[in-house]
Amino acid sequence: MRGFGELEAVIMHRVWDHAGPVTVRELFDDLLRERVIAYTTVMTTMDNLHRKGWLARVKEGKAYRYTATASREEYSARLMREALDGGGDTQAVLSHFVAQMDGEESDLLRDVVRRLTSRPPR
Amino acid sequence: MRLALPLLGYALAVAWWMPAPLARLTAPGLGPRLGLAAWLTAMASALAAAAAALAFLIRAAAGGWNGLAEVVCRSVAGHACAQTVYQSAAFELVLAVIAVVAALAAGIVAWRYGRSVQRARRQTRAHREVARIVGRALTGGAAGDGSLVTAGAAASAGRRARAVVIDAAAPVAYCLWGRPATIVLSSGALEVLDPAQLGAVLAHERAHLAGRHHLLIALTRGLAAAFPAVPLFSRGQDHVARLAEMCADDAAARRSGRPALAGALLAMATGAAVPAAALGAMACAVSARLGRLAEVPGHARDAGYDLALAALMVVMALGPGLVALAATRA
Repeated sequence: MRGFGELEAVIMHRVWDHAGPVTVRELFDDLLRERVIAYTTVMTTMDNLHRKGWLARVKEGKAYRYTATASREEYSARLMREALDGGGDTQAVLSHFVAQMDGEESDLLRDVVRRLTSRPPR
Repeated sequence: MRLALPLLGYALAVAWWMPAPLARLTAPGLGPRLGLAAWLTAMASALAAAAAALAFLIRAAAGGWNGLAEVVCRSVAGHACAQTVYQSAAFELVLAVIAVVAALAAGIVAWRYGRSVQRARRQTRAHREVARIVGRALTGGAAGDGSLVTAGAAASAGRRARAVVIDAAAPVAYCLWGRPATIVLSSGALEVLDPAQLGAVLAHERAHLAGRHHLLIALTRGLAAAFPAVPLFSRGQDHVARLAEMCADDAAARRSGRPALAGALLAMATGAAVPAAALGAMACAVSARLGRLAEVPGHARDAGYDLALAALMVVMALGPGLVALAATRA
């Protein structure tokens, strides 16, 4: 069990999937259908996400209504940009499985793979 | 002082002349682990010699300051042996200036190293949080398949690593160390990989995590940032990264077979159209990795390279001590 970390992800995905701003209560009711969870846990987690800049909120009566500060697609794009940008300092840049290459090189590589697969695997 | 210069000379010789033979010997990637060890030994050897030289210099300078004070004292008291003392004071002053400059340089180097490591850590943590929240959990057989044979905390970190999928067209796969260790795959990667190839990619990334390659990379990157113009570190970081890839390839090939790994490399490398100009070096690295997988290992050749590397490592491990010993005898 990964605790809050995992719950943060679950809640963000709910917020993204939800049409329009959402209250803690609405999200809590939504989550209750699938798991045993305390209202205060949901509230604390959403508060944390707000503090970290993932969620924006406006007061409406006694409750807050939360929205994501950026869409899932925007975050994905930003992440990939960061991961593919060779100038970055992230560990991600250094642990890539492989970098992309051009057609000529890939023809050469295809040939290598043909040789590999035609031989019985060692 | 008599020790400082030979040690400094040794450090410079290793830092400037060792990269070429090391690059040649480790290029085929026959024993990537030994290759990694050889590069790291060279770096440690040069650093140890330089640090010892610096320590001797500082000690000489400290002695010089005392002498200087004595000289000042005497010149106030009287004019006894002013000539020779002045000469030696000037010499000691120069010595002290050199030592101070060297100490300053060492401070700058340490600061640059720390900044590089710190920045990488901060960015990685932020990156991991976004990946963890935005990514969908990877489901299916390959996701939970982490039965690595290695033991220990690092291995279990690799095994427990969570794989997440990010929606992006480009085929991308990489790992992020931390809690929890995270393997990031793009949806584009899942599209081009068959299940066996996906297994190979995951095994490769898990091997990075289990082998704590991020520490090696952080270390060598930090050193390269600290000593930007020193070939041993500036060239060394690329070689260490390359050899770490090959270590992970070996682990993945053992687990998933060479054809699956080679197929995965190819699929991932050619999956998306990317400007050819941007690729040069990395593309070469991929063909080197593939070529290595396609090759039948020749044991005689293995042994020759291994022996040469091992001999180099022994020389470098003993190097600073031998130089110091020779200098005291001379």
